Amino acid sequence: MSHLVTEQAKAETGAPLGLYVHVPFCASTCDFCAFYQVKPTARSVDGFLTGIARESEMVAWDRPLTTVFWGGGTPGLLSPGDLRRLGVVVRGIPGGATMQEWTVELAPASVTPERLAALREIGVTRVSLGVQSFQPGLLDALGRQHTREQVDRAYDRIRSAGFASVNLDLMFALPGQTAEEWAADVREAVSRGPDHISTYCLTFEEDTALWVKLSQGRVKLDPEHEARLYEATWAQLGAAGYGQYEVSNFARPGHACRHNLNTWRMHEWVGLGPSAASQQAGCRGANVADLDQWLAHLSRGERVTEDRVALTPALLAEDALIFGLRLNAGVNVVEWRDRCPDAPWLAVEALLTRLVEDGLALREDGTVRLTDRGRLLADSVGAEVMAAFAEEAVAL
Amino acid sequence: MPAKNTRNFCIIAHVDHGKTTLSDRLLEHTHTIEQRVMTDQHLDSMDLEKERGITIKSHPVTMTYRAKNGQDYKLNLMDTPGHVDFSYEVSRSLAACEGAVLLIDAAQGVEAQTVANAHLAFAQKLKVIPVINKIDLPSANLELCTRQLEDILSIPAEEAILASGKSGIGIEDILEAVVARVPSPRWTDYPQTRCLVFDSLYDSYRGCIAYVRVFSGTIKAHDMMMLMSNGQKAEVKEVGVFMPKMTKIGSLGAGDVGYIVSSIKNTADVKTGDTITLAARPATDMLPGYKEVRPLVFCGLYPLESDDYEKLKAALGRLRLNDAAFVYASESSLALGFGFRCGFLGLLHMEIIQERIRREHGVDIISTYPSVIYHVIKQGGEEMDVDNPVNMPDPGTILEIKEPTIHASIILPNDSMGDILSLIMEKRGVCEHTDTLDMNRVMLRCVLPLNEILVDFNDRLKSITHGYGSMDYELGDYLTSDLVKMDIMINGDPVDAFACIVHREKAEAKGRQLCEKLAEIIPPQMFKVAIQAAIGGKIIARDNVREMRKDVTAKCYGGDISRKRKLLDKQKEGKKKMKLIGKVSIPPDAFIKVLQNN
Repeated sequence: MSHLVTEQAKAETGAPLGLYVHVPFCASTCDFCAFYQVKPTARSVDGFLTGIARESEMVAWDRPLTTVFWGGGTPGLLSPGDLRRLGVVVRGIPGGATMQEWTVELAPASVTPERLAALREIGVTRVSLGVQSFQPGLLDALGRQHTREQVDRAYDRIRSAGFASVNLDLMFALPGQTAEEWAADVREAVSRGPDHISTYCLTFEEDTALWVKLSQGRVKLDPEHEARLYEATWAQLGAAGYGQYEVSNFARPGHACRHNLNTWRMHEWVGLGPSAASQQAGCRGANVADLDQWLAHLSRGERVTEDRVALTPALLAEDALIFGLRLNAGVNVVEWRDRCPDAPWLAVEALLTRLVEDGLALREDGTVRLTDRGRLLADSVGAEVMAAFAEEAVAL
Repeated sequence: MPAKNTRNFCIIAHVDHGKTTLSDRLLEHTHTIEQRVMTDQHLDSMDLEKERGITIKSHPVTMTYRAKNGQDYKLNLMDTPGHVDFSYEVSRSLAACEGAVLLIDAAQGVEAQTVANAHLAFAQKLKVIPVINKIDLPSANLELCTRQLEDILSIPAEEAILASGKSGIGIEDILEAVVARVPSPRWTDYPQTRCLVFDSLYDSYRGCIAYVRVFSGTIKAHDMMMLMSNGQKAEVKEVGVFMPKMTKIGSLGAGDVGYIVSSIKNTADVKTGDTITLAARPATDMLPGYKEVRPLVFCGLYPLESDDYEKLKAALGRLRLNDAAFVYASESSLALGFGFRCGFLGLLHMEIIQERIRREHGVDIISTYPSVIYHVIKQGGEEMDVDNPVNMPDPGTILEIKEPTIHASIILPNDSMGDILSLIMEKRGVCEHTDTLDMNRVMLRCVLPLNEILVDFNDRLKSITHGYGSMDYELGDYLTSDLVKMDIMINGDPVDAFACIVHREKAEAKGRQLCEKLAEIIPPQMFKVAIQAAIGGKIIARDNVREMRKDVTAKCYGGDISRKRKLLDKQKEGKKKMKLIGKVSIPPDAFIKVLQNN
């Protein structure tokens, strides 16, 4: 453990670099999920693993990795052998064996001692378990494939395996869910003592079964209800010792997800796998969201082929504000101003002043952060930030 | 046919008393038009007219009738506009006649418009032939009708003809009465040609077509004519009569009703009430009664979709061609964008123009609150007319404001009396007379400020009286009143579209109502937004727009950043389409909803 800490301290002297691996396999599709995923077959898994190795070789690794995150899909659907195979690729990357944090998302049904052993062996430090709810009825309604018993068994196994940090993912504002039921879910999660809890307000994403239900009027949105659930959650988790550090994320001291924090602070990360996004070397973009096409691109030596954007200092400053304001710690505006003096700070200042005046934000020294009320309106705030940047760009 | 065998007459009636059906029967009976080509309400050609059972444009028609005395007569029937907004037009149509058939619905009896129209006819010294129509209705009450004729209109009951346009009863009696009772054309021996313009029509090929009644002399193609109001001369291209379609003939002579096509293109140049004479031998005196028509009621008209501005402009231009009484000028509003300030003869005229823009020209529009013309006398004696509240000068500079009033005649069932009196009081009216019409009805004569009847007076009258009440009015004097301009402000910035001129005592209630409505209709906002009503800087009512509660996206990780940016960008673009007032982005339809709701 002490070895790990020393390594962390060393890596932190340089700019962080994250690695995201998208494992696109799922046994079935949850009603709320819009991520790219396919049904696993021996051939597709082998193709995927080969592809990750090839893609990793194509990346210009200019400094050691600081964090890794395997998401999906369901990385836990890979066999222990395949997990090791994927682990080898990661460990082969500079810094890949001396990471601060290595997270793997697991679905309760796929948590076996063998898989957990494989993950520990390759160096995974953090497990994120997709619980969503402890209420059987609501799990059914979401199309999830696990039971409450499976959740408990999975959690116990993860804890016994000795990972440094464990997260539970929960969802709220589910169709038909009452405020009491949600409070009970939070209580249940807290009672298990995870290090980190993520609570996601159900979002209606296009191309999901839920979206279809919403557009057919079978499910109704109620922002007031959602706002109350948000507020109740923040209070409940805060009282239980889980400090909120982002709109949907809570952790015991020292357990905030570094990988995600780095992303929100507009540091760099490399994404491997179909649909994975990258932000590196002055460019942001994503891989194609199709296993075969992704492989085809790789064979031609191409990656990050979709939605490519050149990262100018102004764009980074804009996004650092938009995404940083979602963090409870807020954004150090002075720092970004120094990094990017040409950005439209006049318009931004006017906006920030207004946010503070209206009780949506607080300002201390160089840092601006949203109040609870402001955080509930982070999208509107983000759109205002964009407008401020656009406004000045036109004026200039 | 000699002028002594010509009869010029019109039919006047309250709405729905069967004027158009009766006109149709007369046309059939005289074989002016055959039954098989007769659509119901032949004379009312505009869809709107048919729907509302009112006449907006004049539709004259010439009939030939062999009377029982064996002689042939030329009967010119003028179908007059039937609404107080067009009272000047009505008076010109009546001036073109020597007689009027006054229709009374046997079941309804005399109504407010019956009285008003009868008085107009008397004023023009027309021979009035009373006809009680719809006598075959089970609810017909002949005894009541004849008594009302005598009591209210002072017309001898024995003159009344009993008829039913629907069943064709009494049609011949009416035609015989027109021949026997209506005098032959007057003023035929005036030495020069004089024709009264009683309407005009714009034709895209032929320009302005003047509808005329020839009083003396003749007029024919290639004559050089002159408009006596302004001396404008033009060559006559064609003359003709209405059969009922326009039919070209060699010349129009004394007593004739017909049309003149000239080299004048613009209908605004050929004003209703003007006298046409011949340039070579001009008359020295105009026919009596000409006046310039000025709009009384104003409002802003704006396209719902700003892209429709040009379409609206074209529509207004077309409507203006056919309707010289309608005026417009471009204006712009912070809240509503680019549009037009429009002037109308009255409320119905305003409603009809708006409806025609929507239907015939396919432009969706929103109108601001109607306004009247206020006479403002400023400190130091300077006077000005204000037809748009936005132009009202600073209250500190105003000595007094005068507003137009009307003299209204309201006929209502006895049991609605209390409620109607309250309504009149609420509208700042004063009742001057109460006349009992019969067992069940009374007629109130009252003075009301014109601006108080602009919006919902008639609707409320109808609703209180369950449809039995009716109203007619004529313009009264300008009277000094304690009027103020009220501004509605969003975060301190006035919203021009809601500025209005109200009586001081009603300002607070109206201000509160508007603030509430806006607060309710403007979607929840991220920032705090105050809505205030103010008079000259003093806040008299306020409300707050609801605060937005939650719009945060739950999941936002590396892969979501691009998507999220797109989402926010969409949101930002959406805001651009909104009206920015007092730093508040407001969807344009929010204002529209408030205006529509009031």
